[in-house]
Parts: sequence; C-alpha cells; structure tokens
Amino acid sequence: MDLKPSPSNRREAWGRRVLALAVVTSVGFIALLGQLWYLQVLEGGRMHELSEKNRIRIRPVAAPRGILFDRNGLPLVDNRPAFTLSLIPREMDDRNSVLARLSVLLKIPVGELLDSLDRVPADSIRPVRVRRGLSLEDVTKVEERKLELPGVIVEVEPQRVYPTSTFAAHLLGYVREVNDEQMKQGRYRRGDMIGQSGLERLLDEHLRGRDGGERIEVDAMGRPVQVMRREEPNPGAQVVTTVDRRIQEAAEQAMAGRPGSVVVMDPRNGDVLAMTSSPAFPLDRLTGNVDRDEWSRLVRDPMTPLMNRALQAQYPPGSIFKIIVAAAGLQEGTLTPMDSVYCNGEFHLGNWTFKDWKSGGHGHTDLHGAIAQSCDIFFYQAGLKVGGDAMAHYAQAFGLGAPTGIDLGGERFGLVPLSPAQRQRSKRAWQAGDTVNMSIGQGQLLVTPLQVARMMGAVANGGILWKPRLVQRVERADGTLAYNSSSKMTERVELSPVVWAFLRHALTAVVREGTGTAARLPGLEIAGKTGTAQTIAKSDSAKGQDHAWFASFAPADDPQVVVVVMVERGGHGGQVAAPIARAIYEAIFLQKVAQVTLGESG
Amino acid sequence: MLRLDRRLLQNVDWPLLGAAFFIICLSLVCLSSLNPGRGISALVWRQVSWIGIGLVCLIVVVSVDYRNLVRAAPILYVIGLGLLLSVFVLGRTVSGARRWIHLGPFTVQPSELFKFIFILTLAWALTSVRGERLSRAALVGTFVLLGVPFLLVVRQPDLGTALVLVPVLAATLVGLGIRMRVLGGLVLASVAAMPLGWLVLKPYQRDRLLVYLDPFRDPLGTAYNVIQAKIAIGSGQLLGKGVGGATQSRLSFLPERHTDFIFAVFAEMWGFLGCLVLIVAYALLVLRGFEIAAGAQEPRGRILALGVTTVFAAQVLINIGMVTGLLPIVGIPLPLMSYGGSSMVVSLTALGLLLSIRMRQFH
Repeated sequence: MDLKPSPSNRREAWGRRVLALAVVTSVGFIALLGQLWYLQVLEGGRMHELSEKNRIRIRPVAAPRGILFDRNGLPLVDNRPAFTLSLIPREMDDRNSVLARLSVLLKIPVGELLDSLDRVPADSIRPVRVRRGLSLEDVTKVEERKLELPGVIVEVEPQRVYPTSTFAAHLLGYVREVNDEQMKQGRYRRGDMIGQSGLERLLDEHLRGRDGGERIEVDAMGRPVQVMRREEPNPGAQVVTTVDRRIQEAAEQAMAGRPGSVVVMDPRNGDVLAMTSSPAFPLDRLTGNVDRDEWSRLVRDPMTPLMNRALQAQYPPGSIFKIIVAAAGLQEGTLTPMDSVYCNGEFHLGNWTFKDWKSGGHGHTDLHGAIAQSCDIFFYQAGLKVGGDAMAHYAQAFGLGAPTGIDLGGERFGLVPLSPAQRQRSKRAWQAGDTVNMSIGQGQLLVTPLQVARMMGAVANGGILWKPRLVQRVERADGTLAYNSSSKMTERVELSPVVWAFLRHALTAVVREGTGTAARLPGLEIAGKTGTAQTIAKSDSAKGQDHAWFASFAPADDPQVVVVVMVERGGHGGQVAAPIARAIYEAIFLQKVAQVTLGESG
Repeated sequence: MLRLDRRLLQNVDWPLLGAAFFIICLSLVCLSSLNPGRGISALVWRQVSWIGIGLVCLIVVVSVDYRNLVRAAPILYVIGLGLLLSVFVLGRTVSGARRWIHLGPFTVQPSELFKFIFILTLAWALTSVRGERLSRAALVGTFVLLGVPFLLVVRQPDLGTALVLVPVLAATLVGLGIRMRVLGGLVLASVAAMPLGWLVLKPYQRDRLLVYLDPFRDPLGTAYNVIQAKIAIGSGQLLGKGVGGATQSRLSFLPERHTDFIFAVFAEMWGFLGCLVLIVAYALLVLRGFEIAAGAQEPRGRILALGVTTVFAAQVLINIGMVTGLLPIVGIPLPLMSYGGSSMVVSLTALGLLLSIRMRQFH
C-alpha cells in the first residue's frame, strides 16, 4: 500500500474489501442452499416418511428414591415399581375427546385430568403424570385401547412402599408430587416427587436422585420400536438413620394407638432410637395420588394426626418436674436429703389449699421418699424453699423452654415461667401460689416429650445435653459419603456428683418401690419418674383429664437408653405410661430379660 | 428536520425495499397458517402492528441525515447501556434468561435494540478520531466502548445477540483495512480469553454453553428440537406440502415455531423451491447492502452500511444454519421473518439506515 494513498485509491481499496466480504457471505448462502438440497431433495423422501409417522417420543426415567435404613441396616421404607398414568400434551391431537374417553374408561373425573394438564404448556413433550399407582386392570384397559388414546401412556415409576401404613409416619414423612407453592422455588420439575415432611423432607435433596430419560421411536400404533438413546437415572442416596426399627415397632405396639408420644434415646450420644406420635397418619394414602378426602379428613381431625407430638406438642410436665426441683434444691443447698415433712394430704398457703394426689397423704416423708412416692406436699414446701427463680434456672439448664435442636422442622420450645424472656411477657405478678404450682410441674410450665427425653438423658449421663441425632450418614449410590454426622453436645448441667448419685438412686426407688412399679422388669434396673399432669381444659371429662408421663432410663447403673412415654389424657402416669415403658424395655433388652426369666424358671 | 428533499426521494433503493417487503409478506403468510383456529391470528395482527411501528421508525431514520445519528451516538450509547442494565433490575426471567423488560403492555428486548446502537457507536468511535489510518488508540477505545455492553448482553445471557455482534466488528475492521497481522492477533487474543470467560460463567451457564456446543448433552431437550426441525425441513421436499399438509408445523412438533424456528415451518410448507426464493431474496437484500456500503462516499456512511449489512447477513446465516442443523442452537431470530416486535422494529430501522445512506450517496 502507498504511504499516502489518494482518496480515490482508498475508495478503491474499500470497495475491494467490501467485495471480499460479500463473496464470503455469498459462500454462506450457497452453503445453506447446499444443506437444504441435501435435506429436502436427497434426504427428502426419508424425512417425509419420518414426518408421516413422527414417532420420536421422549420418556423420563424416574430415579429410584434413596432408601432410609435403621441403625442395623434394616430398611424403614422401600421402593417398588408402580404404574403411573401420564398424558403427553403435544401428542394429544384432540384433547377433549381423548380425555372424555379416558375418563369413562378409568372412571377418573375429567376435571381432575384437566387440572393436571392446565398446569403445563399445551405443546409440552414431557409426560404429565395424572394418576399414580394404577391397578393392573386399569393398565390393561389403557393398553388395549391405545389407538383411541393418542398421547396417553403408562409409565413405570418406583414408588415408596412402607412396612405398615402408619409405621414411623411422623419420623419418615410422606412423599408427594411437588405442589404449586414449591414449584416457585424453581428447583423442581412439574411431577417431581418430593419429601413433604419428616426425614423425607429433611433429606429430600439427597434422597431424590436425578431422573434419566430415553428417546424412543414408536410406530404408528404408539408401540416402541427401538430405544434411540437412554440416559440412566441417578438413584438417590441411601440414608442410615439412628432409629432402631425393632424398638420403633415395639414402641408403636406398646402405645396401641393411644394418643401421645414415645421417645427412645441413647443417653451416651443423643441418638434417637425411636420416636412415635399417635394418632399417626396413613403414609401410604398420602404418598402418590392426592387423596383429597383423606387429606381433608386428616387436616380436620380434632386429634391432629399430622402433628408430631414428640416435638410439636407441649404439655405440663407434672411430677417429672420434681427431678428439677430436687436437683436445684440439692445443688443450691436449699434442700438436703435429710429434710422431712409430715404429709397429711393437704397444704395450706394463705387462703389456698393444695392437695396431694393421694388423699390422706404419705405420712413422714424425706426427699428420697418424696421422689419415690411423688409426694406433692413435700414438694410444695420444697418449691417454696428452693424458690421460683432457682427452679426456672435449673429447668432451663436441663434444656426446658428451648428447642432441642433436632433437625426435623416445626419444633416447639415449651415454656418455662420466670425465665428472663417469660418475665417480660407475663402480665400478672408472680405469687407464692405460682411457685407452689410450679414445684409439681403444673401452672404455666410446658414441655415436649423430646425435651423430657433430653433432660432424662442428662440425668442418666451426668449432665450432658445432646443434640438429638436422627441421621448417621448419607451414602451416594456410588458409595461415597454425602453427609456424615457425629454426636453434638449442646449444653452441660453442672451438678455435684453427690447430687447426681442421689437423683439416680431416688429414681431407681421410684420403679423399685414407688409410683413406677408397673415398669419393673426382672433382671433390669430401671430408673424413672412418673408424672400425672392436670390438663388446663378440664371440660372434656369423658376423655379423662390427666396426661400420663413416664420418663426413665436403664440400666440404672450403666444407662444405655432413655425411654419417655407420654399418653395424652391417659390418666395416672404410674398406671398408664409406666407399663408402656415396660413393654418397650422388654423389647430392647429382650435377650437379657429372657435369659433371666429362663434362669428363674429353670 | 423531517424535511425530505425531492432529490433524495429519487434515490430510494426500490430493489432493497422490495426484497424486504417480499420477505415480510412471506412471514405473515407463514404466521397466519400456523394453527388458524388457535388464536394465532391475534398474533398476526400484533405482528402487523409491529411492522407499522417499524415503518414509522424507518421513515424517521430515512428523513434524518445519518451523520446526525452518528453524532448522537454517544447519547444513544448511554441510553442503550442504561436499558441493558435495567434488564438486570426490572427484567423478567423467561426460561432462565433475563432479556426482556416491560414497557406498559409491551415487553422489549433491549439487546435487540442495542445491535443498532452498537453499529452507530462503532461508526462514531472509528471516525471521530482524525487520521488516515486506523490508529491503535482508536482501536483500543472502540474495544473498550463496545466491550462493556457486549459483556452485559452475554451476562443476560443472550448468546445469540452477542454472537452477531462479533462478525459486525470483524467485518468493519476488515473493511477499514486492518492489517491481517493485527486481525490475527485479535482473533488469537479472543481465543486465549475464552478459558477466562469460562471461569467467569456460572455453572448453569456453562451447562447451557455445553449444550449449545453439543446438543446431545441434553437428549431430552435441545436435540429433540433439532431433529424435529430437520424432519420438518426435509419432509418439505422439492415442492413443499402446502399450508394444510405441513403436519410437522401444524401438529406442533416444532418448538418455537413462530419465532426462532419459523424457517423450518416455511421450508416444510414451500419445499426447496420456496426456500430457494426466500434465500435469494435475502441474498439480494444483503448484497444490495454491501453495494451501498461499497458505494458510500464518506467513512461514517461506509461503516454504518457495512455494519447493518453484516448484522443482517450474520443473523440470516446463523439462524438458517442452526435450524438446518449446520450450526449449534443459539437463540437468534430470523430478521423480517420471525415473530417478535423488537426484532422487527430494529430490522426495519436498520433498513431505513441503509436507505438513508444510499439516498445521500451523492451529496
């Protein structure tokens, strides 16, 4: 190029370069025509044939949901293949008549079918699941009339199956199709099955896995001719829980459907071995199809079967709270084991009279005896000596009035009056009568069964409050660990060793010779405390008025399990709750008990 | 300002306009034949009103001296940048990308609008610095000026639009006689910068990119569309199936059939011969554009005409290339054919610019 090009030279150069660009572009256009010639003329016949029976279908292949195992490797839930009726909007040429035919064939209301279809674009190629758990009979009907039902397919999907309808319902939780609200999070696809409560929800991310898919060519009848490409689903991760299926079953059996809750925990590490809540809801009827009648029945049921009573129901602790009063008094020096009271069944404070649960009273009673016999009169006076503030302080130290930190959602905090937080909220001035009420676990005090279990764990292990653990580890399908948890100590109650020893000794006496003898098992020393908590609403006397508690651990000298039984409006703790605990202990220490029984009889 | 010189009117490029309107008519036929019963006609009326708006813009652009437009480029640039940024704040997310903002009843796609501003800015930046040769400073300045909005478009992500801007820049630089050594260096530099960009992208964007590059990564999604589009085009054969017989299109096997994949609909209905006519019309339009660029008497007009023409050419080639399976899938509308207001208005405005340059060629 010239050093100083003249304008006309420059214009010429510009023109040449633009021409070059135009040539390049033209080559592009010619390439397009070439490709079109290839597609439309050379390959045209084949393509035409393909379009005549455009039969490339896409089928998602659902990933099997991860299995939940108990601590010994027994499955808590499993999967089985189930038939799902699905519609492919894009392949339904005449939507209304197909839906009408299908509705008559399977006796599904058209409205229900439309409901599912309306949520997706009309030209979606992804199957919309409209009904899960199709019977074999229905599957046959659909397959027979396939020609009249374009766009209707039957898919095979893994579905949850449960040992029994209500087994560990609250703990496991139910799995259901993602709802509109959850769709908004953008993490799910329409039709995904996700855990909606309990462990299924907590671990959903791990359990769900990733769906695969396959592209298949089908003939004009809609029958698959060949699988063109298949992507295997990625199965969900396996979860090893801390639950012991045997104990869980025993606990549910022992409760025999009575409303209430059982919590079994390992005081050495906080592992939750069993957790029941009754009445329970039928897992199998909530999984899969939305059974609307069943659902509204559950939601309206006055017994609130959907609530997990172990951590979402709050009750007055009743006499179980005497453990706290004793611990507080002994540690602070306001009570001594030698303190003795004459119990005649009544206690007067100002104008009020407080009665003992046992009319006539217990006679001369010391602290040990007062715990064993659950003497109210002794504790009325003990409570006044210890003081409301100290009781509240120790209640909090033992984890009452605060969440236990379990991973399941919706945990309630309970309530400890006179705690700094409560003090600001209460409108009424604290009176001596309140202290008296509090000393036997009545009044405003509220606890959850799980809190009581954690508290008993601390009594059993010398003060350690564990974070209740439900999940040991999560293993991906390829064997790698996705999650691993170890026990976590959240709090520690500092009491003198003498006090711990005294408490344990007194609690052993409860079962050996006190109010808890119904829990006694030969060959196993159980330490426990009964509780009979008056309910606030006494209106419904037909149901019985008192909540029955039994909080315990065993073996007393080397505690391995904590068992807390709570029966709503069950009556006396010693009569109702203690035998249930006994049955559970029997199942846990089955072999040991059996040996002893054999030994005795032989 | 809107005074139109009679001499200017004599220089209206009728072949260019004719080709454009021929294509628009084909588009309307195509759109109205898609499922006549299902409310598509409302879509046709909407498109017609967009064409009307586009024509108004075209006339306005024609009546203004393009040199004034270039002078206004800095202001337009700032406005365009603001619109692009507003997408991130006001934007509506549609299938994972934030490209649209609401203006009353309309949704506007600022990145579409920005193509136009991009070209004006390019012309302004490359001609406002005096000098015979393309100076290094002007070059660097241009890159910085255009790099910012380019990255914004990529971030939306609107890979399609971003992809069209690259050839425009390249063509302009070639036209201005950039030395091959420099151009090669730039190409190498951008290739070298790719891994860097890879690091900046979020994982889901990377996935999307990988799907762009290899549709079979997502066998249930993109690949299905490509296959269906190919079947639709191929089954049109030599003469096409006509409006009624186009089962692929009418039975909605095709995705995005009135926007990005409209060419497949056309190809199925009118066959190879129809495609030939359409492509010749596009080629006519583009080659005429190059001719106007070549004939322009002063630098601003040249750069503008070349830029507009390259945008057109790139969009047509990339869109049809992707629908016919020659190129990976990117979201690019077929100018003048695809349904969509922003695209139509911007295409007609760009056409107006070409006409304007041509009309003032001898002044």
